[in-house]
Amino acid sequence: MSEKLLEIKDLKVSFFTPVGEVKAVNGINYTLGHNEVMGIVGESGSGKSVEAYAIMGLLQSPGRIIGGSVMFEGEDITKYDAKQMTDVRGNKISMIFQNPMTCLNPVYTIGDQLVEALTCHNSAISKADAKKRSIEMLDLVGINNAEKRFNQYPHEFSGGMRQRAMIAMALICNPKLLIADEPTTALDVTIQAQIIELMKDLQKKTDMAIVFITHNLGVVAEICDKVTVMYAGHVLEQGAVDDIFYNPQHPYTRGLLQSMPRLDSESHERMIPIEGTPVELLDPPRGCSFGPRCAHCMKICLRNAPPLVEVGENGHVSACWLHVRQAVEQKEAK
Amino acid sequence: MERKMPNYNIFHAKVDDILAENEFINADFESATAEEKESMVEMHKSVSYWKDAIRRFKNNSVSMAALAVVILLTLFAFVGPYLIPYSYEEQYRGSMKLGPFEYSESELLAKEALADADVLFYTELMPGSLTSLKKGDYAFSYKGSWYLFTLKKTLRSGFLMYNESKADPLYTVKEDDYLAGGDYETTAVTYTVSKDKPTSEDITIIKMSSSIFPHVFGTDSAGRDIMSRTMYGARVSLLIGVVASLIVLVIGSIYGAISGFLGGKVDFIMMRIVELIYSVPDVLIVLLLQVVLMIPLQNWFDTSTLPIVRALSSLGVGIVSIFITFALLYWVGMARIIRGQVLMLKKQEYVTAAIVLGASNTRIIRKHLLPNSIGQLVVTTCLQIPSAIFLESFLSFLGLGISAPMSSLGSMCSDAIDTITVYPYRLLFPAIILSLLVLSLNLVGDGMRDALDPRLKK
Amino acid sequence: MTSYILKRIGSALVTLLIVAATTFFLMNAVPGSPFVTEKSTPEMIARAEAKYGLDKPLVVQFVNYIKGYFVGDMGVSLKMQQDTSVAEIIFNQNKLTLSARIGAYALVLAVVLGIPLGCIAAYNRGNWLDGLLRVITTVGVAIPGFVVATTLLVLFGVQLNWLPVRSGSLETASAYILPVFALSFYPSCYIAKLTRASMLDAINQDYIRTARAKGLKTGKVIFKHALRNSLIPVITYLGPLAAYIITGGFVVETTFSIPGLGKYFISSILNRDYPIIMGTTVVLASLIIIMNLLVDIAYKLVDPRISLSKGDV
Repeated sequence: MSEKLLEIKDLKVSFFTPVGEVKAVNGINYTLGHNEVMGIVGESGSGKSVEAYAIMGLLQSPGRIIGGSVMFEGEDITKYDAKQMTDVRGNKISMIFQNPMTCLNPVYTIGDQLVEALTCHNSAISKADAKKRSIEMLDLVGINNAEKRFNQYPHEFSGGMRQRAMIAMALICNPKLLIADEPTTALDVTIQAQIIELMKDLQKKTDMAIVFITHNLGVVAEICDKVTVMYAGHVLEQGAVDDIFYNPQHPYTRGLLQSMPRLDSESHERMIPIEGTPVELLDPPRGCSFGPRCAHCMKICLRNAPPLVEVGENGHVSACWLHVRQAVEQKEAK
Repeated sequence: MERKMPNYNIFHAKVDDILAENEFINADFESATAEEKESMVEMHKSVSYWKDAIRRFKNNSVSMAALAVVILLTLFAFVGPYLIPYSYEEQYRGSMKLGPFEYSESELLAKEALADADVLFYTELMPGSLTSLKKGDYAFSYKGSWYLFTLKKTLRSGFLMYNESKADPLYTVKEDDYLAGGDYETTAVTYTVSKDKPTSEDITIIKMSSSIFPHVFGTDSAGRDIMSRTMYGARVSLLIGVVASLIVLVIGSIYGAISGFLGGKVDFIMMRIVELIYSVPDVLIVLLLQVVLMIPLQNWFDTSTLPIVRALSSLGVGIVSIFITFALLYWVGMARIIRGQVLMLKKQEYVTAAIVLGASNTRIIRKHLLPNSIGQLVVTTCLQIPSAIFLESFLSFLGLGISAPMSSLGSMCSDAIDTITVYPYRLLFPAIILSLLVLSLNLVGDGMRDALDPRLKK
Repeated sequence: MTSYILKRIGSALVTLLIVAATTFFLMNAVPGSPFVTEKSTPEMIARAEAKYGLDKPLVVQFVNYIKGYFVGDMGVSLKMQQDTSVAEIIFNQNKLTLSARIGAYALVLAVVLGIPLGCIAAYNRGNWLDGLLRVITTVGVAIPGFVVATTLLVLFGVQLNWLPVRSGSLETASAYILPVFALSFYPSCYIAKLTRASMLDAINQDYIRTARAKGLKTGKVIFKHALRNSLIPVITYLGPLAAYIITGGFVVETTFSIPGLGKYFISSILNRDYPIIMGTTVVLASLIIIMNLLVDIAYKLVDPRISLSKGDV
């Protein structure tokens, strides 16, 4: 579409816990242009949220970026210092989170928090103007009675309204990129649909790019242009949304599409032991991280990690030894 | 079978390039067996809840240090008395008002005298108000044998010494004669040796010393060894703490379990009672209770013949009334916790019943839920011990807790206040031991709480 | 909001009544009357008891007693200051004033010291300053109050001779220093620990992540967003704090020889002077209950989540 707004190159993030190094993100790549929507899909523990935090510089110890780069508008923001990052956050790149119930400070009014988002990047603006703009934003995200709501506290808003307020707060400085970390997961299905519509609408109006993180493929189909499928910190498949949905190449993606909810609960039982530590990320198995659970697992899968190969056009890639086997078979058939 | 690493860029290559640079054999593309897949996953042991908690506790260096201190203090209190020759109540007239590691004149003299003897007995160092060894039959043990002898004359202000190398190994010396020096006059004592301890009641057994043990913490105005008293006080404080916590545990659990289990109106009333008890300022009532219970308890102890009452009376009115106070007021916290756990358990059972998965699941729930509850119980009880000790020492300090002749660390501090300007160490040692005890118990309890909490802490 | 306040006042009064009743009946459960001395005969005792109305049935005595409160009559001392009105003893003899002064200063000092120290510890989390503060506060809450008081006395009063050993009636400024500091030691350490813990807790909350994501500077995040939320548990603690100040006051008054209400209360217990015991218990209990009530109201004011909802959460 346009030149690259965001380019993630071989990003690696690890958490250095007392139990060992947890390799949350193991080298992922993707690019995003202006006004594009990238969907990042994966289960809990796949690393999708971690990479978002890495982009925003919100990683807290013991987590660290240990390799790769995040190029935003041509500059590597992983190398920015604290001051430069606070300039970027909320201003050029905004983020909204999963649980709107707890994401707003309960002791300050919504208006307070909106104005704050504006004035911290825009110290010259007057109080009256800031208030005006905030009310405009509340209106824009579909909150009725914006003037009255401006003076209310978060606990007086419903879940859906809070998420709208969060979106208003994120967009108030006209960022180029919005990262949405599972924004609809905690909401009712009907509210989910409304929020998705709102985001699509806003995206068209503001020419903003979105990174949409979710485990719900249905939502991805609604709003995304491109999709990256992640598992255990690796990219398994990536491509345009139509390609992924109508021509999935990786066994994992196919599995996801066929049986979404059950795969989720299965993975919880296996991956997360009683105390909640994602153990296999501590000591990742050699070879393909999905191997032990894959119906098509081959001996080579357990020995070596599969290469990410092109399996179609428009940057459709998939990391699976099946593609290599297929190519070998084709060659021998000739 | 070792294979060299295939040559390819793991990111974004064309399949043809990969094929060009690597040789793949058919074996590579054979399906992996279930066992092979299992072995990949098996590398990660899933740790059991308890093992994980213990590991976390061990990693917490502060808690481990505190645990070590608790163990040391417990040894101090219970094993210590066997290691030092002084008892907590014996008064040594010859060693009054000594400072830490200070020796009285008599003790110094005895130490000197030991240069001339293997073991000795000095009348000035006798416990109580005695200062002379009356005539009669005596025995002492030395190097595994028993020595029996008879004193024909009362020995006053003198030594009884035994020196193997001398011609007359056992003899008495008057203190003045010894001090005069030179060739001091000794009176030989005949004795017999036997392998067995004499059983006759007419024979008094005396202890001969080969060294004079220092009064590590000094002595008080009555000549009692402070270290020994501190050990005794520590024992009393610890026992009170543990028993009070157990009382709280038992009453609280039963009350909470019944309340949670029965639910409905009964639960409502029981919880309102708990709230009432909570809202009452506890220390005021405790003080009143202490005073109020003294006389009736004493009467009860004096008049009752039940064996359990006999046992209780040996503890003294002060301690028993503290226990009663705890039984009346302090179980409410535990009751709330237990009730919460019971309610959770009930909720789980209903859910399981609804899904109808069979008895095995209920057992699984018990395996998950019970460890959590037991953990809470243990931590709460453990943290109750130092607060019980705290309360008891507070009461004793004000004069409303333990009564003489028993003493706890708190009452020792109280007694020491009057002479604090002259003998500050009398307060110092019990206070330090008390503070260490409370501090380390608190730290251990905190450590246990952190270890049992499954949330990963940053 | 008003209905909440009224409900709370109501339950406070009920608690007070329960405390008074419990005290009353406990006092009278003790055999032996305050009039028994070596020389007293049964007739003398009976006469004395009749004079003070102690021969009427217990319930009647209690009701009369409570009735007296409404007109400010708390009975008269039976033993320690015979025939002097209890109200006179408690309020007009400077006892309550002394205790109240020490208590108030100690409370203020505890808050003024504890909260900033807790914030500093939370802000410096992990480094040496935090470690040092944590050690001091952890040790501080484990040492019994009387140990602190007496140690300070020995150290500054005796060995170094900087401050007076007997503070007496607090005539000079220096007489205040040791008792106030001794009394505030435990609560400052506790408040510091509490503040630190709730700050760290607040910092881990989702709304802090949102604040950071907005691009706010760290300082603002902590002091504007985290602090206000973390003060809520501290305010809740002020209730039990009042109770501690009062009971800790007993110890401090005893140690520093201050003729305050606490010391007098202990004596009245040992002397079995019932009216004084009753009166003092009721006064002290009321202070604690009032403090708890104020804290409850303040709490609802500070946390907007609850204030506007009807009824109790």
